[in-house]
Amino acid sequence: MLDRLTPSGVAVPAFLITWSLVVILPLLVIVLFSFLQVKSYRVVYVPTLGTWESVIDSGRWIVAVRTLRIAITMTLIELLLAFPFALWLAKGCKSKPAKAIIITLLTIPFFLDTSSRIIVWRSILGTNGIVNTVLTSLGIVDEPISWLLYSEFAVHFGMLGSYFPTMVFPIFMIMSLIDDDYLQASSDLGASPGQTLLYVILPMSLPGVVAGVVFTLVPLMAAFVEPQMLGGGFVNLLGNSVNSALQELKYPTAAALSTIVVALLGVCLAALILITRKRFDMSTMFQAIRR
Amino acid sequence: MIGTSDLPTLALIDERQLAGSSRFWRSVSRWKGWPTAAKWLGFFAIAMIYVPLVWLAIMSIAQSPLSGIPYPLTTANYAALAADSRWIPPLQVSLVMSTLVAIVCMVIATMVGRSITRMRRPGGVLLLTLLPLFVPGLTMGAALFIFLRTMLGLKMGYWSIFLAQLVWALPFALLLVLVIASRFDLRLLEAAEDLGATPWRRFWDIEMPILRPGVFGAGVFGFLLSFNELLRSLFLRGVETTMPIYNWAMAASQQSQVPIIFSLATIILVVTLPVMGVFFWFLFVKLDRS
Repeated sequence: MLDRLTPSGVAVPAFLITWSLVVILPLLVIVLFSFLQVKSYRVVYVPTLGTWESVIDSGRWIVAVRTLRIAITMTLIELLLAFPFALWLAKGCKSKPAKAIIITLLTIPFFLDTSSRIIVWRSILGTNGIVNTVLTSLGIVDEPISWLLYSEFAVHFGMLGSYFPTMVFPIFMIMSLIDDDYLQASSDLGASPGQTLLYVILPMSLPGVVAGVVFTLVPLMAAFVEPQMLGGGFVNLLGNSVNSALQELKYPTAAALSTIVVALLGVCLAALILITRKRFDMSTMFQAIRR
Repeated sequence: MIGTSDLPTLALIDERQLAGSSRFWRSVSRWKGWPTAAKWLGFFAIAMIYVPLVWLAIMSIAQSPLSGIPYPLTTANYAALAADSRWIPPLQVSLVMSTLVAIVCMVIATMVGRSITRMRRPGGVLLLTLLPLFVPGLTMGAALFIFLRTMLGLKMGYWSIFLAQLVWALPFALLLVLVIASRFDLRLLEAAEDLGATPWRRFWDIEMPILRPGVFGAGVFGFLLSFNELLRSLFLRGVETTMPIYNWAMAASQQSQVPIIFSLATIILVVTLPVMGVFFWFLFVKLDRS
C-alpha cells in the first residue's frame, strides 16, 4: 500500500545525478587539475608536479600553515566562549522571551553582508579610530596603538563575532535535549557542579561540540574578507591566495591551494573524531540522548 | 549501599583525603559566579556582532566615516548615495537572483525532502546532499570555476553565480524541509487515498499544508543566504556584479568610495533587521510551542 504512495522514483535519482555533476565532479576535478598545466590559455593534459613544487618553493605553504593556525585558534576561542554560554542559555536562562531574543540575535548575523560589517572595524581600531582617540585623549597611552589594526590581532578580533553563532547553535541544541533529571540525579548522588559538568554534561553534549567545531572550522579555513580588510596585507590567508591565483589566471595553483584547504580540513576532522572517540563512546552517547 | 549509615562518614573521609590541589578545584567548581561569567562572555561575543552594526549606522552620518570620530555630522553620504546610481543594478541583480534561488530551493527541497523521508536508507543521499556544508566556500567556488570555465570552456555569467549560490543554499533548505517532513504521518495519505483523492490532491491538500512551514523556511533561508553570498559568487561572476560583490569591491577599493557603502549598508540594515527580527521571533516562538 505504502509503495503506491511513494513519490515517483525519478525525482531523487535525477537530483542525485545533477548534484553529483555540480558538486562532486568539480571537487574531484580540482584535485586532478592541480597536476596539470595551463599554457597559453589552454589546458595541457600531461600530469606534472610543477604546480605543487612551485607552491612549496614560493612559500605558499607558509600561508597554509598560517590559515590553519588562525582557524584553529579562533575555533578554540569560540568554543571557550560558546560552551559556557550555550550551557547557560539551555539550562540557566529561565526566561523564555530572553531566550527567544538571544536566539534571534544569534540567527540574524548569518544573513548580513560581511564586507560592510568588517570594514567598520577600521574606524574603531584604526590609528585615528575611536579606541585610540579615547585612549590618547584620556592620556592612557601617549601615541595611538598601531597594532590594533592591520595586524593578526585585528583579524582575530574581527572574526570573533562572525563565527560565534555557528559554534553556539549546535551546542545549545544538544544541551537543550539533556534531561534536567540527569543533572538533578548527578547532584543528588553528591557530585559537585564541576563533576556534573565533566562526567554528565560534557559527554552528552559532545556531538554538539563536534558539530560546532566543524561548522566553525570549515568557514574559518575559507576566511577571506577579514584578513583582506583588517590584515592590511600582512595577514594573507588561503582564501586571498586562491583569489589572487585565479585573478592571475594561475588555475593549477588555485586548484592546488583549494586541495590543500580540503586536505587540512580532512586531517583536522579525522583528529577530532579520533580524540572524541578515545575519550567517549559516541554510540552510547547518542542512545543516552535519544532517551 | 543507599541508606547505609556509613555513608556520611564515607563522605567525610573522602573530603579529608582531598589533596590541596583537589580542594582548589572543588572550590572552583562550587564558585557561584560561573553562570554569570558564562552569560557575560556570551553577551560580549554578541556585542562583537552588533557593535559594528550600530557604529556603521552612526558613522554613516559622519563626515569622514573611516576616522574614529562621528563629528561633524552630515547627511552628505546619503546625498552622495542618491546622486550615485552605480549601486542600483547590483541591488536589482541580487534581488532577482535571490528570489530565483529561493524559488528553486523551495521546489527542489520539497521534492527531494519528502522523498528522502520515505526511503529505507536515506543516509547516503542525505550525506551527499549536505556535502557542500562541509566544503569551504573558496574550494567550492574555485572547483566550480575551474570545472565550468577551464574544463568545459563555458562563459561565466549570471547562470554560474546562480548555480554556486544554489549549491550553497540548497542543503540548508533541504534540512528545514526534512525537519518538518520527517514528522509527517504517512497514514494521512493512505486515508486520503481510501477516500478517493487523486495523487495531486493528496499532495496539495494533505501533504503541502503540513509541509508549508518547512517549505516557507527553505525559501527564506535560500533568499537570505543567496543575498549575502560573496566568495562563491566572486569566483564565478565573470563580469557580472551582485550586491555583496559591489560592497566588497567598494570596501576594498580606495577610501573615497567607502562613505557610500556606509550609508547603503545602513539603509539595507534598517530595512532588513526588523523584518528578520520579527520573522525569526515568530519562527522560534512557534517552534517552541510545537
